[in-house]
Amino acid sequence: MTSVNRLLSSSQRQSFVISATAFLASLLLIALLSILLLILVRGGAYFWPTPVYELTFYDQLQNKQKTVYAQQRQRTDSSGEKVWQVDYSDENSPYGAKTLVEAPDVIAKKLAPESAQINLTDGRAVLAEPVYLTSAESADIPVSEYASVQEKVHALTAKIEDIRETWLSDIHQKLAELDVRNVDADAPARLNLNASFDRWQSEIILLEQRRDAFQMKVVFASGASWQLPLSDIDSFYFVSSQSLWEKWAMALSSIGTFLTESPKQANTSGGVFPALFGTVLMVFLMTIIVTPFGVLAAVYLSEYAPDNGFTAAIRVSVSNMAGVPSIVYGVFGLGFFVYTLGGSLDDLFFADHLPSPTMGTPGVFWAALTMAILTLPVVIVATEEGLRRVPDGLKAGSYALGATKAETVLYTILPIASPGIMTGVILAIARAAGEVAPLMLVGAVKFAPNLPIDGEFPYLHLDRQFMHLGVLIYDGAFHSQTDAKGSSMMFAACLLLLVVVFVLNILAVILRTRLRKRYLL
Amino acid sequence: MLKLFEHETLDVGNLADQDTAIDVQALNLWFGQKQVLHDISMRIPKNRITSLIGQSGCGKSTLISAFNRLNDLYSGCRSQGSIIIDGRDINHAKENVSRLRTQVGMVFQRPNPFPMSIYDNVSYGLRLQGIRVRRQLDDAVEQSLRDAALWEEVKDRLFEPAHILSGGQQQRLVIARALALKPDILLLDEPTSALDPLTTLFIEELMAELKKRCTIVIVTHNMQQAARVSDYTAFLHQGQLIEYTDSDTLFTMPDKKQTEDYITGRYG
Repeated sequence: MTSVNRLLSSSQRQSFVISATAFLASLLLIALLSILLLILVRGGAYFWPTPVYELTFYDQLQNKQKTVYAQQRQRTDSSGEKVWQVDYSDENSPYGAKTLVEAPDVIAKKLAPESAQINLTDGRAVLAEPVYLTSAESADIPVSEYASVQEKVHALTAKIEDIRETWLSDIHQKLAELDVRNVDADAPARLNLNASFDRWQSEIILLEQRRDAFQMKVVFASGASWQLPLSDIDSFYFVSSQSLWEKWAMALSSIGTFLTESPKQANTSGGVFPALFGTVLMVFLMTIIVTPFGVLAAVYLSEYAPDNGFTAAIRVSVSNMAGVPSIVYGVFGLGFFVYTLGGSLDDLFFADHLPSPTMGTPGVFWAALTMAILTLPVVIVATEEGLRRVPDGLKAGSYALGATKAETVLYTILPIASPGIMTGVILAIARAAGEVAPLMLVGAVKFAPNLPIDGEFPYLHLDRQFMHLGVLIYDGAFHSQTDAKGSSMMFAACLLLLVVVFVLNILAVILRTRLRKRYLL
Repeated sequence: MLKLFEHETLDVGNLADQDTAIDVQALNLWFGQKQVLHDISMRIPKNRITSLIGQSGCGKSTLISAFNRLNDLYSGCRSQGSIIIDGRDINHAKENVSRLRTQVGMVFQRPNPFPMSIYDNVSYGLRLQGIRVRRQLDDAVEQSLRDAALWEEVKDRLFEPAHILSGGQQQRLVIARALALKPDILLLDEPTSALDPLTTLFIEELMAELKKRCTIVIVTHNMQQAARVSDYTAFLHQGQLIEYTDSDTLFTMPDKKQTEDYITGRYG
């Protein structure tokens, strides 16, 4: 440094310091931006239609040449060689196969405007050329009639569902009641029910046969044809011949699917609605729990606690709690909330269900409680900061009007400190929405069959396990690298998680700005 | 002729009980180890303006804060001796401090309106007492603002935030806030030191008006102000009451050398 000092004049030294700090700051900015860019590009690519090619390549595994309709999701360089990640369909694997093709093995490749990406209701996709539609009556309905034919299929499906839900479930229930009352197997009531069950069942089979007669005939690149039941088809797009508008429309529709539907095909396809819902619900519950606790603790520490070493020790411990690794909170939540607290609740209130636990199992409420403990220090520290900013003159003014300490805290100090409290809540939300590790111990799962909220009493099922965007991303990251679509759904989920955190933060910032304006000093 | 409109001058050294608003008896007060007030005994007359003057740090603000026990807010403050207000020793452990503070209002050096509407500021003390009847609050707010000579200026914007008012208006708002509780005694701790001369004059006129209904004790650094507005003046020096008599006498022919030195500006 002395040599630098000798070389540079004082103003040069100053500009050197400025450039050095600015350089590091811009490095940080670039790192942040590239993270955002990566997630934006890779996440956005999940929604953008991928063109279908007619690809002829040499399959090294089967030692033969293949011509297929294929989508190339990604190109990676492994040890310098170009490798194509290919999703394709052919007569051997009509519902899609994945493979890696090295660049020299590609023999021919051209856009296939005649081929469509046919999305199935179970989340898979078929790449093939739709030729015509068939029904029980006629064998060659043109593909352009798809909408009206599909309407008939939907009507039949609705009818079948209706029979299942109204009649069959009713018969099931009555049979179960008979079982409970130990009615004989050959009692007339039971026989009647069985007979009507069979009647409805055969009706359903008839309807299903009629429905499945509606099919789509498709042709693969090799010339082989295949029949797809229309009831399995969700939608199809001629991705290779789309105009820009059609591409945008398809992207928007897949964003809609992504946001509103459940995951399919082991979280590699479909939507992430349950995870989005679970994340927001958990953060919401956590906020409701942590805010009063944090604020009350901060009020005690700042207004009531004697100013001595013990209080100082508590303050230091609270600040240090913010640095405890989150998995430790997860273990604490599992050991204390789930096993101890939930287990005791089971012993007290749900003893007749034991040994299968009711509350003593990971669930959304325990997860929210654990996250509340995890974010408590953040709220306490920020609230104390806000309380410290309340001018002594205002407190004295309140006392001078005959207010007690509690009244002063409630009517004067807390309103003025409310922007500070909001700052704490914002930080807590940001922390809780992005946390994954502790959640996997206390209630978040890869797949939950039910949402924590539904139409059944008590509507909000706090004991249920839930899906979480972070856990979904963690799960997605373990999908095979060849599964390009799955990993790109993980990026889409990342993007969504960022958006969720951003939106929650913006909401809290708006609230804080309003409070600041109201309690301007 | 003018004398007719003035009060008869009482001898504060020998004040009768019925004329006394605050009776301070041998008051000693410490902050931690430091003794701030030394054996102060004085009787403050009813419906008069009494000013406390002295150097910074002489204990006059501490003395005025002893009258509504606001010193309690500072940990490490303890006192000896009694202060009799309304027949009670307010230093007694069983004194209801909240009630005392509604009887003894206080206005501070810097205007400290709460970050609420003008209306809510004035009705704060009443609402604390559990008064929720809208009509009653409306009447009290209007009356207090009139008493503080602020009504005409704010009557159209009662529900706007108090911080939009000017400094002088804020100080009058704070006075109105104290008056809403109908206090017997009003303590003013350097109420005009943060205000411009014109606004100061306005507040001084207000004090002259207010003394008809309550006793006023004012701490001031401004000797002219003390001479102008107060009927009686007490001079404190290093926590001791040096001289306490009617303002005319104190400012024209002070008894003690220290007082003379202070008012003629030799120190302080």
